Amino acid sequence: MFLNHHSRRHFLAQSGVGLSSLALTWLLQDQAKAAPVKPTLERPTFDLLPKPHPGKPQATAMISLFMQGGPSHIDLFEPKPELDKRHMQNFSGQIQYDNAAEASAKLFASPWKFSKRGECGTELSELLPHLGHVVDDICLIRAMHTGVNNHGQSINALNNGRVLGGRPSLGAWLSYGLGTENRNLPAFVILSDPQGLPVLGVENWNNGWLPSLYQGTVIRPKEPRILNLDPPPKLQGAVQKRFLGYLDQLNQEHLTQHPGEHDLAARISSFELAARMQTAAKEALDLSQETEETQKLYGLDNPKCAEYGTRCLFARRLIERGVRFVQIHTGNQHWDHHGGILTALPNMCQVTDQPSAALVTDLKRRGLLDTTLVHWGGEMGRLPVIQNEKNIGRDHNTHGFSTWLAGGGIKGGLAYGATDEFGHKAIDKVVHHFDYHATLLHLFGLDPLKLTFQRPGGTGSLLDGQDGKIVWDILKNGPHNAAI
Amino acid sequence: MNIPVFRLFGICLLVISSVAGAGDLVTDPVFETHIRPILKANCFHCHGEDDKYEGKLDLRLARLMILGGDNGPSLISGQPDQSLIVKRIVAGDMPPGEKKLAAQQIELIRRWVANGAKTDRPEPQSPPVGDFTDEERLFWSFQPISSPKVPTVANTGQVHSPVDPFVLAKLERHRSNFSNEADRRTLIRRLTFDLCGLPPTAEDVEQYVNDPAPDAYERLLDQLLASPRYGERWGRHWLDIAGYADSDGYTESDPVRTYAYKYRDYVIRQFNADKPFDQFIVEQLAGDELVPLPYENLTGDAAEKLAATGFLRMASDGTSGGAADPNLAKNDVIAETIKVVSTSLLGLTVGCAQCHNHRYDPIAQTDYYRFRALFEPAYDWKNWRVPQARLISLWSAEQLKTAQQVDAEITNQTDVRMKELDAIVQEVFDREVGKLPEEQRESARTARTTAADKRTPEQAQILKDHPSLNVDRGSVYLYEAARINTFNTEWDKRIADIKTKRPKEDYVPCLTEVPGQIPTTHLFYRGEFAQPKQAVNPGELPILTLAHATEIPVDDPQLPTSGRRLAYARHLTDGKHPLLTRVLVNRFWMHHFGKGIVSTPSDFGFLGEKPSHPELLDWLATRFLADGWQLKRFHRMLLTSAAYRQQSVRRPEMDTVDPDNRLLGRMSVRRLEAEAIRDTILSCSGSLSDKLFGTPAPVTVDDVGQVIVGIDTRDSAGRPTDKKVTIGEEEFRRSVYVQVRRSLPLGMLEPFDMPTLSPNCELRPVSTVAPQALLMMNNDLVIHEALGFARRIQGIAGDHPAIQVTKAWLTAFGRPPTSDQVAAGVVFLTDQTQQIAARIPADQVAKEPPAAQQALANFCQALFSSNAFLYVD
Repeated sequence: MFLNHHSRRHFLAQSGVGLSSLALTWLLQDQAKAAPVKPTLERPTFDLLPKPHPGKPQATAMISLFMQGGPSHIDLFEPKPELDKRHMQNFSGQIQYDNAAEASAKLFASPWKFSKRGECGTELSELLPHLGHVVDDICLIRAMHTGVNNHGQSINALNNGRVLGGRPSLGAWLSYGLGTENRNLPAFVILSDPQGLPVLGVENWNNGWLPSLYQGTVIRPKEPRILNLDPPPKLQGAVQKRFLGYLDQLNQEHLTQHPGEHDLAARISSFELAARMQTAAKEALDLSQETEETQKLYGLDNPKCAEYGTRCLFARRLIERGVRFVQIHTGNQHWDHHGGILTALPNMCQVTDQPSAALVTDLKRRGLLDTTLVHWGGEMGRLPVIQNEKNIGRDHNTHGFSTWLAGGGIKGGLAYGATDEFGHKAIDKVVHHFDYHATLLHLFGLDPLKLTFQRPGGTGSLLDGQDGKIVWDILKNGPHNAAI
Repeated sequence: MNIPVFRLFGICLLVISSVAGAGDLVTDPVFETHIRPILKANCFHCHGEDDKYEGKLDLRLARLMILGGDNGPSLISGQPDQSLIVKRIVAGDMPPGEKKLAAQQIELIRRWVANGAKTDRPEPQSPPVGDFTDEERLFWSFQPISSPKVPTVANTGQVHSPVDPFVLAKLERHRSNFSNEADRRTLIRRLTFDLCGLPPTAEDVEQYVNDPAPDAYERLLDQLLASPRYGERWGRHWLDIAGYADSDGYTESDPVRTYAYKYRDYVIRQFNADKPFDQFIVEQLAGDELVPLPYENLTGDAAEKLAATGFLRMASDGTSGGAADPNLAKNDVIAETIKVVSTSLLGLTVGCAQCHNHRYDPIAQTDYYRFRALFEPAYDWKNWRVPQARLISLWSAEQLKTAQQVDAEITNQTDVRMKELDAIVQEVFDREVGKLPEEQRESARTARTTAADKRTPEQAQILKDHPSLNVDRGSVYLYEAARINTFNTEWDKRIADIKTKRPKEDYVPCLTEVPGQIPTTHLFYRGEFAQPKQAVNPGELPILTLAHATEIPVDDPQLPTSGRRLAYARHLTDGKHPLLTRVLVNRFWMHHFGKGIVSTPSDFGFLGEKPSHPELLDWLATRFLADGWQLKRFHRMLLTSAAYRQQSVRRPEMDTVDPDNRLLGRMSVRRLEAEAIRDTILSCSGSLSDKLFGTPAPVTVDDVGQVIVGIDTRDSAGRPTDKKVTIGEEEFRRSVYVQVRRSLPLGMLEPFDMPTLSPNCELRPVSTVAPQALLMMNNDLVIHEALGFARRIQGIAGDHPAIQVTKAWLTAFGRPPTSDQVAAGVVFLTDQTQQIAARIPADQVAKEPPAAQQALANFCQALFSSNAFLYVD
């Protein structure tokens, strides 16, 4: 009986991808249901093989453009006529400041003009001309809420479901639940900014207590783009080819002295797979395959946004090749405009507006937008009052801010919810971070209550017991034709 | 099991064996042997074990099935299609929930009913409660350990050690015998890795190969057993099963266990000293009960006994804060500790009986709580002590006094500091007030000194309109950055200077009892601590007392402590326990042969595998006792055997009958463990530190999230600061000394299956996946150490390529290359030198290592990555 068991393991090991195999899984599924499951004498193995979406998926991949620091929703996404009228008057409401020394109670109207864009007529700031071109494809959520005023905690809330760190991030959950469609690429990719990691650094793509297989793989903003993927430049290409050829020769000789040792053969093929991964990842990141028109669309000819545009284009190419989740981070606090907002905010818009809009346009014309969920947003918005009268800025606001989503089952041309007349607090159709999570897991055909992981402290999940509600209003398909 | 359906694939492999087991269906099943185990695992929980039986139906005896419940008789002998028990199971109504019976199991039950529902013997009046069926009572691992006779074999020439006849006899029954003895180069590499976890040096190899003495092998063996590296290697095996970690785990913050290493060092010392295992186990279970109270001014021996109880402090512990449910966290510490103790020492999955009677083994839920009562005086969940409170100071009385004086001085000085700071705050406030219109100043001042809920609306409004008035100790730096900075720097230094007078803190984490405080242990209904039921007394699992009775005192009057753990430890190690020595010798065997005689080393129960050589297992256990529980003697006996010294090459005729080598007709080829791979690479390059013991080498995250050995220099927001703190040889310490932070597994070890602790590691998996290949091909550390290896080889071989190839080969593999292999290596070096030279820009030639050295490094890296390096024959 153990022979039978073990020879199957050999068969699997030979395939070089660990102990689990999709075909076998299907063959065995009936048995798995019928037979008593042994207590885990052996621990379950984990892999990145594609998993069936338990429900009917609308999205199969996601690109998250994370604007770390907190873009000012009042100046970009939500016009506030009342604020305009009360410009420079004292604000009468209660405000929580992050920086008391520079705090002021004076209201400050947005210095930028808003106008109706697209067929839907959603009003957007003049700082976002390109977004206006795709506004009919996006859903602008104007009443996001996390309610914790620090960057780190609010990032955690949006990224892992709770204000604490150490939990699995969104990408880790999707990789765990769904695997990857391309065995030669990671399931979860991070594209970080050349000027540095965002606040919380590597926490942002943590696997938490999920197996580390589900951690985000950083595609670095400079060469080498993936860790352990390439040797140093001088050992690449022909040098490495010779290295692998020689290694193979060593291993083949060794194998002839060890006939029938399947593990040794499996390791030989694991080097072949590793080499394929190197090629696949490089191919995915080779932008010379893109037309000049596409490169221009993403602003690669514009020094201001070429770098960020490159990462947006990487994201599309990775998704196209079966990567499940790509997250692009802007640099450390680049959107945290406590002061100098009059120049710093337009600057960040020039960096991100064109490529972000291009991503939506490009995904759409390639037929990928239907199944790719795009997210654009930061961990907070800004206050309607002035911080630092000498060098005007705005302080933190997590009680109401804007985020946009597109594709993957999201309704386009919609502006959803609102903050109060000053843009201070989300009041209408509030979307909490856990609602956002419930909604996007739903779009992936995953039941937020069933995507769980057993750990010593109990059952872990993204929502972690919070009452996340699917925001049906922003979805193309309502509950009546949802499969879950 | 709350694993979502789509996560089930991982465990499918487990299922194969249990399904395959039912492959040949018994034609005439009887209740006790064939039917009861199925019903016990699937039905008894509701129909027999709970307080009330669902539908008043009790399935524990055939007689009671015929009697039936609310729906009438459940069983009509001879008429399966009329019998409710068959009908409900076939219809899928029973058992309820997702887990259904397998087709074979249903067929077996149907057949049993059709054949007249036979029982082996007349059934008792009432179902056995606290009693066992004969099948359970007679189960192999619960029997007293026998002293089997050494079997006779035909091929006596192949017998070198008393273990050989046991293995050989079985091979001969399969018309086979041992493979030839492996050559000396293979033997010294195998032996050195097995005992020390490192490769032999090229000099060691040559010396052994050329040693003409007839006892060359035995002397080599003694030499290795005497090496301090031996304790590091075998200590690491024990740390796996103890679940050793340098952090608490459980919560996201994963607090560091600063002093956990005291237990690690204790373990390594015991292995090196060859402390008899009975003592070793008594100390780990009850070292505190051997030391007189109070635990102050400790002698070295007392400190060591207390450090030993670290064994019971290894489970993850979320009680220092941050756990969602603190009471659950406390009870989880106890539950996890029970798992560690029972899987490591009893080889039983006792933990399965926490919520209900064990589904497969004769362990009732009551038994579980009796076992738990052994630990409750120390783990009293209603009078809990957090991890910090379980540290015992190693200070002498004088050191303690000095520390108290220093602490008093610090408190004084901190008061002075705060007064000075408040003065600055007041000054800033006065200045901010000065910015207000004259008429508001007075109310602003009053508002500030008035409690928030006592302020007039006008006062509140002023503070709100002018948020900059809200200056306090925490925010004053925003107003006076430079001044506060200087203030803090000066004060920090002043306090730090005082602190230098304080003796260095030193603690040992241990499990202790509070004298006189003995809680009553209750059975928890469904394992929930909020539902305590009857009180239970401490005791051994009853199934293990049938042949080996014992009494565990509730409170031993001879001791200040309860004496429970001490009594249990002595009972376990009195030489008559049916499981302990079997479990121990099986693990020792496993670490030498790749697989245990029982291949499930922590499950000697009904679901575990049966021993491949049961007589050998008992003989080894008996011998281990007779040899005074001393492991080094045991190693000598195993490692001098013909069984151990065989070649590892597969023999086609044996492969067809025994592909997994359970009969040991050859040695198994084994992959190096994660630690051995890292340590061997460092040893080849010459950078491996040989420092023993002490605080662990710290781990941190580099700028892309890879966990490396080093000091954490990230700022408070988790961002890299690009600061590098050199830690010298700490960076290159043996892996056993690298901090085991549960949330930060070392990037170099993790891909190679380093143990995951939940709560301990019973058996390491061996995987072969592409990330391992990428690591060997491209990892910074691997490439860096390959260059170190190349430089070392150049130091020995100069610039002569053929000699370089030969020397590197000898160091990495312990054998010289053939002339063809040298030739191929030289061609490789030539090719790579050319290719690399062409890539070094002219202006870099002076700065970079020469092309030939880089080519040699590349060659060394190929050796590191090769199967000859990663596997042991």
